[in-house]
Amino acid sequence: MREAEYHDLSDDADYAASSQQGSSLVARTDSSKRSSLHEPGVAEILYSMDNVAMHPTRYASERIRGRLKLIRQGNSILMTWIPYKGQSSNGRFSEEDKNLYSIRAVPFTDIRSIRRHTPTLGWQYVIVVMQSGLAFPPLYFYNGGVKQFLATIKQHVFLMRSAEDANVFLVNDFHNPLQKEEGQQGGNEVGQQKTCHTEKPKITLVYSRRKNKGREREREAREERNGYKEDEGGRMFPFQVLHPQLVWLMNYPLMMITQRMLLIKSFASSFRENVSQRRKHHDPAQDLSIQVLEKFSLVTRFARDTTAQIFRDGRVGERKRDQSSPEHHPSRFEDSEKVPEVPVSPDRLEKTSSRKQSSGEEAATDVGMFELINFKEFDKLSLVWGKPRQPPLGHEEWITFLDIEGRIVDSEALRKRIFYGGMEHNMRKEIWRFLLGCHSYDSTYAEREYLVSVKKSEYEILKRQWQSISAEQAKRFTKFRERKGLIDKDVVRTDRSLSFYDGDDNSNVYLLRDILLTYSFYNFDLGYCQGMSDLLSPIVYVMRDESESFWCFVSLMERLGPNFNRDQSGMHSQLFALSKLVELLDSPLHNYFQQNDCLNYFFCFRWILIQFKREFEYEKTMRLWEVLWTHYLSEHLHLYVCVAILKRCRSKIIGEQMDFDSLLKYINELSGHIDLDAILRDAEALCICAGENGTACIPPGTPPSLPIEDASIYHQPDADIL
Amino acid sequence: MPSRRRALLKVIILGDSGYVNKKFSNQYKATIGADFLTKEVQFEDRLFTLQIWDTAGQERFQSLGVAFYRGADCCVLVYDVNVMKSFDNLNNWREEFLIQASPSDPENFPFVVIGNKIDVDGGNSRVVSEKKARAWCASKGNIPYIETSAKEGINIEDAFQVIAKNALKTGEEEEIIYLPDTIDVGSSSQQRSSGCEC
Repeated sequence: MREAEYHDLSDDADYAASSQQGSSLVARTDSSKRSSLHEPGVAEILYSMDNVAMHPTRYASERIRGRLKLIRQGNSILMTWIPYKGQSSNGRFSEEDKNLYSIRAVPFTDIRSIRRHTPTLGWQYVIVVMQSGLAFPPLYFYNGGVKQFLATIKQHVFLMRSAEDANVFLVNDFHNPLQKEEGQQGGNEVGQQKTCHTEKPKITLVYSRRKNKGREREREAREERNGYKEDEGGRMFPFQVLHPQLVWLMNYPLMMITQRMLLIKSFASSFRENVSQRRKHHDPAQDLSIQVLEKFSLVTRFARDTTAQIFRDGRVGERKRDQSSPEHHPSRFEDSEKVPEVPVSPDRLEKTSSRKQSSGEEAATDVGMFELINFKEFDKLSLVWGKPRQPPLGHEEWITFLDIEGRIVDSEALRKRIFYGGMEHNMRKEIWRFLLGCHSYDSTYAEREYLVSVKKSEYEILKRQWQSISAEQAKRFTKFRERKGLIDKDVVRTDRSLSFYDGDDNSNVYLLRDILLTYSFYNFDLGYCQGMSDLLSPIVYVMRDESESFWCFVSLMERLGPNFNRDQSGMHSQLFALSKLVELLDSPLHNYFQQNDCLNYFFCFRWILIQFKREFEYEKTMRLWEVLWTHYLSEHLHLYVCVAILKRCRSKIIGEQMDFDSLLKYINELSGHIDLDAILRDAEALCICAGENGTACIPPGTPPSLPIEDASIYHQPDADIL
Repeated sequence: MPSRRRALLKVIILGDSGYVNKKFSNQYKATIGADFLTKEVQFEDRLFTLQIWDTAGQERFQSLGVAFYRGADCCVLVYDVNVMKSFDNLNNWREEFLIQASPSDPENFPFVVIGNKIDVDGGNSRVVSEKKARAWCASKGNIPYIETSAKEGINIEDAFQVIAKNALKTGEEEEIIYLPDTIDVGSSSQQRSSGCEC
C-alpha cells in the first residue's frame, strides 16, 4: 500500500503515506526526544499530571487526553503535553491529528502568561499564552491539580499575578532578552532543546503537503501572484500552515467572552475538518479564523511584531549563518539533531514541498511554537491582515479559471477569489452572469453564446406582450396602466445622479423601464415593486444589453423576489434572522433593542430590501453585490453585513439612547459613510464566529436562499403576491 | 402653559406613491422603508421641530406602518388634484393609518388633507374640485384642508402651520392623559424636549 502511494508521490497522493510515516516518525522522535531529555542527568521531571485534556471541539468524543509535564533541563524549564496514544479509538482524531495538538517542550522563556480558570462547575483549566500572543488551547485538568501546577512553576520560574486579573499569572514578566538568548544559544542544553523541536517542522510539512492535489500548478501561480496560500480546497492560508497551537489567540480584548468561545469553537471544528482529511470544500474557516483572531487582537499584533523582531535580530541570523556555512551542518545535526534542512525523510520533502520548503524551514527556528511563523511570510501576513481584501480579479487571472473551451474548472475557487476581492469592472459583464446563475460554471463558450441568442429571442417575445397593448386596450387594463405608471415614476428617480442615467430622454432610463415592464409580465404575480429599479440599475449599467440585463435580473429576482412579496414574508424572515444573529453576536445591542422596542429591525429594511444599494456609492454597491452573490461563506452574508454595521454603531446607538425613530434616521444617514472593506471583513469574521449557531438563526428558505423546492410545487403565488 | 408643549412633533405623510415628495430636487429617490426630514416651525411664538415622515408608498409595504407610524402626532394625507384616483384613495390611506398606528383615540386623531399640484397646467388639468375635497374632509370629522403647490412653493408654510397646530392638539391631550402629576414640574419640559418620545 505504501508502495503504491510512493508511486504517486511525484503528484499528490502522498498524504496518507506521509502522515502515516509522519506519525510513526513523530512517535519515534518523541521517544528519542524523551530519552534525550532524560539524558546526562540534566532533565528532571518537576511535575506530571495525567488526564489533562484538550477539547478541540465541543464533542465529548473528540477530547484529547494526555499528560502534562514540567521538566527542568539545565537552566530551562519546559512544559510538555503529549496526548495518549491509542486512546479514544472511537473519536474522530487519528494519531497524527492528535499529535498536531501536542505541546512539545515549550520553554518558559517563551511563555508570557498562564490564565487559570476554576469554574464552579466543570473542570479547571489553564490557558497558556505565548510571548507571541498566541495561545495553546485550554488544558483541562480532569484530575485537578491546577494549583499544584502553578505552584511548581512558581518554584522555578518568576511568576507574578497580573494586577488586572487575579487569574492571570505573568511568566518572566521582566522579560530579559539576554536570558532568552542564553537559553537559546548557549551551551549544550540548547542543542537538546532544539532536539525537542525537530519533529515540528515535519508535522508542519506533513500538513502542508496535503495541499498538493490537482491544480497545484495553477494554484502556485495564483499564490505567487496573490501572496497568500491555498489548501487543496482552494482555501487561502495566510499562514504557512494552520497549526492548532498557533491560533489560540486569547488576547483579543475587543471581543466578548461568548464570542471568543464561539470563535474558538468554530475554529476548532474547522481545524478538525481540515486535519481529518474530510475535504469539505465549502468551509473556508481556517484562514479567516486567523484573520479574525488577528483582527481583534491589537495586543497580539504587537506581540507578534516583537516575535518577528526576535527572529530577525536573533535566531534567524543564526540560521543564516548555518546556511552560509553548510559544513557546519553535519556536526550540528549530529549533536543537536536539528533537522529542518535535512529532514528525516528527505525524499518526501523534496518531492512535494521543496517549493515551499525553504519557508517551512525558515519558520523552523529554535523556538518550538514559532517555526510556523515564518518571518518572510510574516511580512506578507501583515499585508494580508492590514489589507485583507484582495485586489479585484482582473482578466489575466480570470482566464486562468477557464479551460480551453471556456468552462470554469473550479467554481469554488473562483467564488472564493471574488469573495475576497471582487472583480475589475470590465470583468463584471462576463462574470456576473455566472454568479447570478444565468450561465452554469461548466458551460462552454459555445454553449453560452447559443444560450444568449436563445434568450434574446425569448426576451423579445416577452417584451412584445406588453408592447402590443394598444392605448385603447390599456384603457381597459387598469393593472397594466398602474404598473406602468409606477415603473415610469420610479425609473426617472433611479440613480439619476449617475451620468449613465441622467438627463432627459436618456435611453438607459427607457431600458430600465422596458426591462422592468417586461419582468412584470414575465412574473406577473410578483409584478413591479419599488426597489426593483434599484436592483436593476447596476445590472443594466454593467451588462449594457437589454436582453442580457433582463435575464440577469430574472436570476437575481429568483433569489430576491421574496423581498417584494405582498405579505412581506421574505423581508420578515430576514429581519427575524437578523434579530437572532444580533442576539447571538452582540447581546448588549440585542438587549438594548429589546428594551427600546426595536426588535422588528425595520430600521434595516432598506439595507435588506435592495441589498444596501442606497448605502454605498455605485461602485461599492457593485463590489458588495458580487461578493454577496458568491454565496461563498454563506448565502446570508448580507445579514452578517447588517450585524457588522450595527456592531460598529453600537456604542453610539446605546450611548445616545436612540429610540426607534432616531435609530431609523441614524441608520438612513449612515448612507455613504460605511467603509465597505472594513465591514466585509467584519461580516466575514462574524459569519465565522457564528458558525453553526449563526446558520441556526436563519430559517431554511430565508431569502436569498432559493425557495425550497417542495414549496414551489404547492405554493400558490397568487395567495400572497399580487 | 406653553412650556408644557412638546418640542418635537411626528408627522406622517401618506398618499399615493409619486404624488408626495416630488418637490425635493430631481435627485430624489423613491423612499424605501421609511425616512423623515425635520423642519423647524415657529408656531405661536414657539419653535417646534416637525419630524416629517415619508414611507414607502406602495401598498405592499403598508404593514411596516406599525413601526413607522408609532407615536405620530399628526397624519397628513396628500393627493394630487389632477388625479382622481389619488383622491379616491384618501380614505384607504386614512383607514390604513388608523389600523397601523392604532392611536389611542382614533376618532379625534388629527389628520390634515393637502391637495397638491394645483399649479399643473395652470389648474386646467384639475379633476378634483376644492369643494369636493372640503366636503370629504368635513365628512371625516372636519379634517383641516389646504391646497398647495410644492413645486411653486404655494401655501407650503401655511401647510406646516396647520400641521403644527393640529399635531399639537394630540400633544397636549396626551400630555394630560399620561403625565397629570408632572405637569408643573420644571424639569418635565426639558425632559420632553430632549427625549423625543414620540
